[in-house]
Amino acid sequence: MNPILTFLVVLIGFYGLSTSTNIIKSVFSVTIIESGVILLFLNLGNFEPGSIPIINDETVMIVDPLPQALMITTIVIGSTVTAMALMLCIKVFHQYGTVEWKEILRREDIKS
Amino acid sequence: MINIPIILIFIPVVTSILIYLFKWRHMNLIAFAAQLVMTVLAIHYYLYYRGAFELTHIVLGGWDARIGISLVNDELSMSFIFLTLFTWWMVIIYTYAFGKTKHTFLFFLFFLQGVFLGLLQSNDLFNLFVFFELTTIIVTILIAYKKVGESYRAAIYYLLLNTSGVLIFLLGIILIYFNFGTINMVEITQLMHTVEDTTLLRLSYLFMMGGISVKAALFPVFTWLPRAHGVAQSAISALLSGLIVKGGLYLFFRLNFLYEGAGFAYSDFFFYVGALTAIVGVMFALSQKDMKQILAYHTVSQVGIIMMGLSSVDEEVFFGGVMHTFNHAFFKSLLFLGAGMIIKVYRTRKVGDIRGVARTMPLVSIFMIVGMLSITGAPLFNGFISKSIIMYGFAETSVRYWILFAVNIGTATSFVKMAQIFFGPKTVSYPMRHLAQNTAMMMLALGCIILGNFYIPFTTGFFGIPFDTVGEFHIGHFFDYAVTVGIAYMIFRFIVAKDYRPIRLIREYQVSFETANYVFIVYLVALTTYFILI
Repeated sequence: MNPILTFLVVLIGFYGLSTSTNIIKSVFSVTIIESGVILLFLNLGNFEPGSIPIINDETVMIVDPLPQALMITTIVIGSTVTAMALMLCIKVFHQYGTVEWKEILRREDIKS
Repeated sequence: MINIPIILIFIPVVTSILIYLFKWRHMNLIAFAAQLVMTVLAIHYYLYYRGAFELTHIVLGGWDARIGISLVNDELSMSFIFLTLFTWWMVIIYTYAFGKTKHTFLFFLFFLQGVFLGLLQSNDLFNLFVFFELTTIIVTILIAYKKVGESYRAAIYYLLLNTSGVLIFLLGIILIYFNFGTINMVEITQLMHTVEDTTLLRLSYLFMMGGISVKAALFPVFTWLPRAHGVAQSAISALLSGLIVKGGLYLFFRLNFLYEGAGFAYSDFFFYVGALTAIVGVMFALSQKDMKQILAYHTVSQVGIIMMGLSSVDEEVFFGGVMHTFNHAFFKSLLFLGAGMIIKVYRTRKVGDIRGVARTMPLVSIFMIVGMLSITGAPLFNGFISKSIIMYGFAETSVRYWILFAVNIGTATSFVKMAQIFFGPKTVSYPMRHLAQNTAMMMLALGCIILGNFYIPFTTGFFGIPFDTVGEFHIGHFFDYAVTVGIAYMIFRFIVAKDYRPIRLIREYQVSFETANYVFIVYLVALTTYFILI
């Protein structure tokens, strides 16, 4: 896959962040950005005809293992962020009764 | 001896887990013990390696240095480590009574210290990202700790905006790895000048700077800061404003050292970003009525001043900026802690409703006044030293000088407004039983005064520049300060206190989340355009 295409995924995520009015959609947009970044890094570390990075036989070409190791960590962190953001969404919903950014602001003005 | 950096990261983490597992009544004493051990170890480490910090490079687990997890220290990171330890001392002393029962609070507080120390010492770029993201997550929890509606809203705003910033930072790391095949910062610094085609390098630089700008709350993307720092508990606000924001600024100069060999001309761009941050921060601060919001917007403006210093190519101005990070940590923590006490006693955050603090809480008001004098740059206090160093760096007639001067007057005006809380009759009763809080604030106030007068040993020890050109006992400086405060009082009396319509509009202006992200993209595009044009 082309690196430009994966960068496009990042841009789609940013488009989502800057247009969606719903908190849950914003959380998904962040996840999409993250997927784009992960795909991009895996892409740059990959080449044909690379085998999986387990050395059994010295003559077989393997792909660069470092991006994969790093991106596993990124996926773990990303899942934490998503879980926390969704938890906060639930809390916001309990407090305001809505998950729309604008609606939350309006209800806060009424309260104060 | 060489493994002390690892121990420094793990002591707080292990302590926090112990505190959380054994929820005994006096568990917070363990926190003090751990803090003491860490301080002793850090001082020992510093004295052992002083003058030979290139020996501190360690790679964990015996991996190849190019790809393994590695840690390194130098004078700057050591100075930041001492600042971190000191700030945490103050915060755990201040929250002594609170931490006795709230174990989860202490857990996150202490965990954050370990993560932040890791951020300061990390030498490989990927771990920098990991620690960066971990601070974001833990700070989010600490912001939401109050468990009221607006703290949840501020927390999710903070989390999502900063995560998108940090992911952009990761894009920069990926491009660096693609260029050099290594993520070790020491090695990249040496390889930097060998690159011929710098297009991808430029791209990685601006991605990294874009990510850092969100964390450091620079001009277009500072909108998360006032919300987050305004709604958190006072001790947490002190920590966030004093230290965690500096994490971004620390990375700013760490990465500029990294890219030194490539010779990018970034200085002017970041100077004007800093100037805009400072001016916009002051404007918002002037319009606010909420005490913590005022302080939070002043953090934005002070970050702008620091940025104006850090972006300079002149070494003295640069270290003036570094020193201002330190001084800002002292006086802004002090102001937030004092504001926390006042808000607790008066049960309101509106500056207009609080009167007679000087009679009700004499000790707290003395500390607050020390903090205010420091932030407005009064001679003999620490804010003055670093502001003067930055100001002397700019020629007296240049635009840069006048921008800093205007920001200074704005700051003074805002604190003249806040000083109104001291006057008036005593209205509420205040029991004098806050030994822990008063101790913490007294230490910070003493720090402000000591750094303002006897700063030469500190600056020569950590930065290698004595800065003895700043003649602090010159009588003219007092005159300058008096004029500044006079102008500030006039502006307050005739413009700000009248509360005209534009000021109200600025106060009520709220940046929604979508707009903040849109602005972030525009900022990235502006960075790209600038780097293409240069």
